[in-house]
Amino acid sequence: MPRWITTAAAITALGAIAPAVQAEPLKIAIIESLSGPQTSTGRLIATAAEYVIDQANTNGGFNGEPIQVKEYDNAGDTSGAATKFREAAADGAHVIIQGASSAIGGQVTEDVRKHNIRNPDNPIIYINVGAEAMELRGKKCHFHAFHFTTTAPYRTVPLMQVMSEQGDLGKRVYSINQNYSWGRDMETAIVDNADRFDYQVVDKVLHEVNRIQDFSPFVARIKSENPDSVITGNWSNDLLLLMKAVGDANLDITFGTIFMDQPGNVANAGDVAEGHYVAHSSNIELLDEAGPEAYKKATGHYPVFIEPTTLNGVGLFAEALKQVNFDGGDINVNEIALAMENTTFDNGLGGMHVRKADHQAVIPIVVSQVASGVKYPVDGTELGFKPIKTVAGEDAIYPAQDSCRMRRPK
Amino acid sequence: MRYALIAILALLALLIIAPPLLGTGWQYALINALIAALFAAAFNLLVGQGGMLSFGHAAYFGVGAFTVIHLMQSVEYGDIPFPTVLLPLAGAAVSLLCGALAGFFATMRSGVYFALVTLALAELLHSLAPHWDEMFGGEAGLSSMRMPSLGFTFGSTLEVYYLTLSWVVICIGLLYAYTRTPFGRLTLALRDNEQRIRFMGFNAHGTKIVVFAISAMFSGVAGSLMAISNETANYSVFSTQVSALVVLHTFVGGSTIFFGPIVGACVLSLFTFVVSGVTHSWMLYQGIIFVLVMLFAPKGIGGVIQAHIEQRHALPWKRLAAPYALATLAGLMVACATVFVVQSLEIVLSREYAAAVARTGEYAPYTVFAREWQVFHPFTWLFPVLLLVPGLYLLRRAFARIKALWDKDDDDDNGDVPAATQQLMEGGR
Repeated sequence: MPRWITTAAAITALGAIAPAVQAEPLKIAIIESLSGPQTSTGRLIATAAEYVIDQANTNGGFNGEPIQVKEYDNAGDTSGAATKFREAAADGAHVIIQGASSAIGGQVTEDVRKHNIRNPDNPIIYINVGAEAMELRGKKCHFHAFHFTTTAPYRTVPLMQVMSEQGDLGKRVYSINQNYSWGRDMETAIVDNADRFDYQVVDKVLHEVNRIQDFSPFVARIKSENPDSVITGNWSNDLLLLMKAVGDANLDITFGTIFMDQPGNVANAGDVAEGHYVAHSSNIELLDEAGPEAYKKATGHYPVFIEPTTLNGVGLFAEALKQVNFDGGDINVNEIALAMENTTFDNGLGGMHVRKADHQAVIPIVVSQVASGVKYPVDGTELGFKPIKTVAGEDAIYPAQDSCRMRRPK
Repeated sequence: MRYALIAILALLALLIIAPPLLGTGWQYALINALIAALFAAAFNLLVGQGGMLSFGHAAYFGVGAFTVIHLMQSVEYGDIPFPTVLLPLAGAAVSLLCGALAGFFATMRSGVYFALVTLALAELLHSLAPHWDEMFGGEAGLSSMRMPSLGFTFGSTLEVYYLTLSWVVICIGLLYAYTRTPFGRLTLALRDNEQRIRFMGFNAHGTKIVVFAISAMFSGVAGSLMAISNETANYSVFSTQVSALVVLHTFVGGSTIFFGPIVGACVLSLFTFVVSGVTHSWMLYQGIIFVLVMLFAPKGIGGVIQAHIEQRHALPWKRLAAPYALATLAGLMVACATVFVVQSLEIVLSREYAAAVARTGEYAPYTVFAREWQVFHPFTWLFPVLLLVPGLYLLRRAFARIKALWDKDDDDDNGDVPAATQQLMEGGR
């Protein structure tokens, strides 16, 4: 049930004491997939974002008022997102948080861009915490969009760098990915870095998305090339079934993955998962215990999968709010956006900031290996993610795309 | 007939006057409802009138949307001058062509085989689209901006609403006019007895292609309007969900009546808009509505309304008032009980609630219907039972009485009533 999460008592008390000037409260809209097949991801994002804002509110809110958060259910499709965006804009939202899908990300970022062109006096900020499509930072980039998640090359480079250092990458690398923009971004990144990490792409495969039930023909193809490692950006069933097919074929090949830490993956894959790599934007094994424990106390679970990204992104936003002061007057969204460009936020692994050219966040990437004997085992198994190395954001990030031509407010 | 005209004009007046008084969220929801209504009406030309159930109409809807988004991009970059208000014409033209082509193959078969061919053709597009970035824009989709036209900037949602309303009214008008033409009659005959059409000297296959293409064309207009209002198009528009939704709208509304699917699409779209803002279980409620309609009113909402209009002179309205009121009350009781149980479970079984229990060690009261409830208090779970059991009992009583009153007509009225009454009681065949 969406509701403005407010400390109602504080508002009424404030209203009673100072009826003359009503400060403008900052309004945040979370437009997420809260029903339908993508609910599990959408719910995680909403929970993490609300956690950060609740913390900001216990520290005094913003502009003399508690920050107001409202959830909007986009039902997992772009039309639903467009509807909810207009509803949020009509409700006076200053900031929109979204992340569960690049398709919806594309819709929301474009809606925000057009809204800001048509209403230059009431702009809206879009905080992207999960949509990884390169195009959102390229052709579709704009001043009011901030991308706190990574992209295909951003994760592939540190993944292969660490695997190479560990001696698990080898000279023969096999690329298997899903045949749509994300999978193709992955393949490009794998091919482009061959010289840098001194390997040869022995074969590259693009397959249908979430339609293949039996990966054994693909595994036969992998086997025939005799690779040292397989790099894949596959997620969900495409990753699980691929790993299972490899396990069934008794192939001893190390996988480099991007989405191994999606809840349920390790449990479903079982022992097959052990030894495989994942590149993610945080690993709670490395964090100070207080953070994850406090999170678990508030939400019932440790931050997993997309939650650390959301905590970091919304965390930087909350940090930026401390840099601006409107003295209880009207909120100037452009000033908040400029503050976000100039804010450095310590996410527990190192400093993160936003790159001015395309508003891609520069975040350290952790490369971990599935292993037993970790502090936080996942999915009720013995296994968890053992951090191998943290790569600084500057070393991992891809160059800003030429297609991004950002117009800044005057 | 005169009453119908007055009712339609009144509805139209309401649709013109009301939106400026509503917020942009509602205006946009109305745009979506109008688009869904046109899509359902176009779909029903094929299903309800032509007797061909298509499971792949998202293809023609999507083709219209992508045609228009490409054209809008060309206009935006100044390559082609094309007035924004006429954009749906382009979507219509391309969808008509695609419909004629797909229709040629699909209509070679009928029944289940026809449905499977349409499904396959739509899936073809659905699996092709993600691989062709230049045409369909990849995962992030294509985007453009509406350019000013005829003195309107089309920057505000309200202007887009009126543009959509005009197109939808014109297209539904045309679709209605179509049913009155000799070719429209031929379409009905196609549904009832295809063999006979052939014996009468018509080209059945050719006729079916034309019907299919016209249906695709109007679906394309609906898709165009969606592209204009969203200013984006994404390959997810080809998904089976879109095809399934129009089937749902059509059958909840009633496919045997011209205005049925339009009513169904409007009701369900607005239902989604309102209820999805209140609860995450809205899909469950939508599913319950669908099942109930299929079980108890197979001719849909439109069918129930039409039966009442047809019987308006024959029904003993005065004696029916009490049972109808009782049925409404009992229905509300059952609905309240259902909503209470679903909402309670949604809250109590949520992760947030589990986290709160783990944190504080106690089961905090939760709020439904603006009242606090204790999870383990017997009254909390007695409450829905107290509503449900008498509600169901009263509902049965009320409907038995209503049925008796409708049936009673048969005895003391003229000959053509029993058939219609019988139909209502049995539901559509």
